[in-house]
Amino acid sequence: MTLATILAPLLALCIVARGIGFLPALGVTTAAAMLVEGLEPLQQVGAGLAVAFAVGPVWFLSFYQQDSAREHGGPAIPFLALGLMVVLMLASTRPGLPSFPAGLCVLLAGLVAVTCRQSMVWQWAGLLTCVQGVLLAGVLQHQVMVVGAATLAGVLIALLGGLCVHRLRPRIAVVRASGKQEARKRAKGHPKEPTSKLGTASGAPSPDYVPKPPRQFDQEADEP
Amino acid sequence: MTFPVCLAALAFVWPLLGAALVMSLNTPRSRDVAVWMAGIGCALAVAVFLFPATGAAGWDDDPVQRAGRVMLAFGLLLSVLESATIPNRLLRGLPHISTALAGLACVTPDPIVGLGILEASLAYGVFVFSRPAGQAMAGWALLRTGSVGIFLVLAGLLLPAGQPPSGLMLACGIVMLAGLTPFGQPWREENDTLLFLPFAGAALLLAMRLRPHGGEAFETALMAAGLASVWLTACAGRSDNGKHMRLFRTFPSALALIAVGAKADVAALLFLSGWCLAGGSRSERLWAARALACFPPGAPFVGCLLLLSVMSDWSWFFTVLTIAGILCAIVRTVPVQEGAALFWPHDAAGRVACTVLIVTGFLVPLAMMLGAF
Repeated sequence: MTLATILAPLLALCIVARGIGFLPALGVTTAAAMLVEGLEPLQQVGAGLAVAFAVGPVWFLSFYQQDSAREHGGPAIPFLALGLMVVLMLASTRPGLPSFPAGLCVLLAGLVAVTCRQSMVWQWAGLLTCVQGVLLAGVLQHQVMVVGAATLAGVLIALLGGLCVHRLRPRIAVVRASGKQEARKRAKGHPKEPTSKLGTASGAPSPDYVPKPPRQFDQEADEP
Repeated sequence: MTFPVCLAALAFVWPLLGAALVMSLNTPRSRDVAVWMAGIGCALAVAVFLFPATGAAGWDDDPVQRAGRVMLAFGLLLSVLESATIPNRLLRGLPHISTALAGLACVTPDPIVGLGILEASLAYGVFVFSRPAGQAMAGWALLRTGSVGIFLVLAGLLLPAGQPPSGLMLACGIVMLAGLTPFGQPWREENDTLLFLPFAGAALLLAMRLRPHGGEAFETALMAAGLASVWLTACAGRSDNGKHMRLFRTFPSALALIAVGAKADVAALLFLSGWCLAGGSRSERLWAARALACFPPGAPFVGCLLLLSVMSDWSWFFTVLTIAGILCAIVRTVPVQEGAALFWPHDAAGRVACTVLIVTGFLVPLAMMLGAF
């Protein structure tokens, strides 16, 4: 048992509690936990895959707008994951053999995030956490087939999740470009001709909620 | 390489060839070609069952698994016969590809590889289903639930064999992969015959192979989940108002999971044939509802008798509970109309399904007596 194998479940709990932002740290820690065990090809390939599955989706998400939807019933979910981890550790402990199933604890945390969170990106983070956990368990137990199946699952989940994000989220570049276009028009002295309710160009996404101006209330208050 | 090995390899590759051919052809001709390719695939699967590839070391050669693959091939034939001409090329090839991948997942020497193949099948199906506008989140829900099932099974396989945590995780994963109501996938009518039937069939066949690793906890958990689903179906209400048929869709897979838990593999095979030929969205038709509700003659009826005979040796309490659940489900779910359409359908696909179900119901006990299983 190394420090990295202890840190990995804690970072997985952070993903359950706070979201996909902790996924790169989990990937790096998982890779460190694999490489500390040895430098054989299986460990090196597993570490590379863990970092790729952790950094790639977060880098991809940086091109898209963040989800502003609120989660319901959030505070108890990390404790559920923690409780399941404790139950797993108690169930898998054998007398005389100290064991800490770090990979399976990470996998359990990911499963809790997938099933209990409503946001699609959070669920995607949970599935990628599951992939990290299976990779870690497969490398620590020297099971090549498990690493292969986890790699296939990770590639498919990363691709389909990325496709889903691409279809659901507006890209930041579109919003920035439309904002620059608007600023250029103002600088040239063109009159403001808003194409949407927020005054952005037609390429920019329009949010579902548009705050109404408080002018009506003032008029109503002025009326006798 | 011997003739049976060539035959087995051809039987596995054939649905993929069929998918490539169907996707490459124009729309009007594709349905006829698909029916022919699926029919030849059925003949190949039957040939593989009769001439097993004993020379291929490591690959699974269990007769129940081979017979299960025959049922998957007949399920593909029925899907093709039922569907009209599909203009979308990817959707047209989907049942062929999902059946091919399901067969490959069942035959791999290591169940972990089979799980990887199932994930690939699920991902391809989700990609095809979620391509139209507005279907992204529905596709994501399918991928999420299926992946959770696969990761649960993987976690069970990574734990020490025979321990209760391993068995419980394996059982939870298999129940989710089999789509058992109310624990399983949010499947809809338009996708369950094309993707879900072979996918859940492969999960049922994989469950038989996971039994040595899962131990007693796995078997007990499977029986408990199957009984819970049967009793939920029984308590849901009558199908006259059309509200509760969703629970009845997975009735044969619930009975198949009980059979797997009771170590009655032949009964599970018979329920699997009912699932592949009359399950899913087909269960809303009258003849399919009667077949699934274990009315004679048919494979599920024979499977029910075999299951009860095996269960009575194991536990009288569970036997009575199962009989009562099945009877309540039959009384409350099967439609009460009478007529010839109850027994013999008018369409070609329904006739093929009824014929295969009746022939399977007669042949499997005969083969059991002759020692084939």
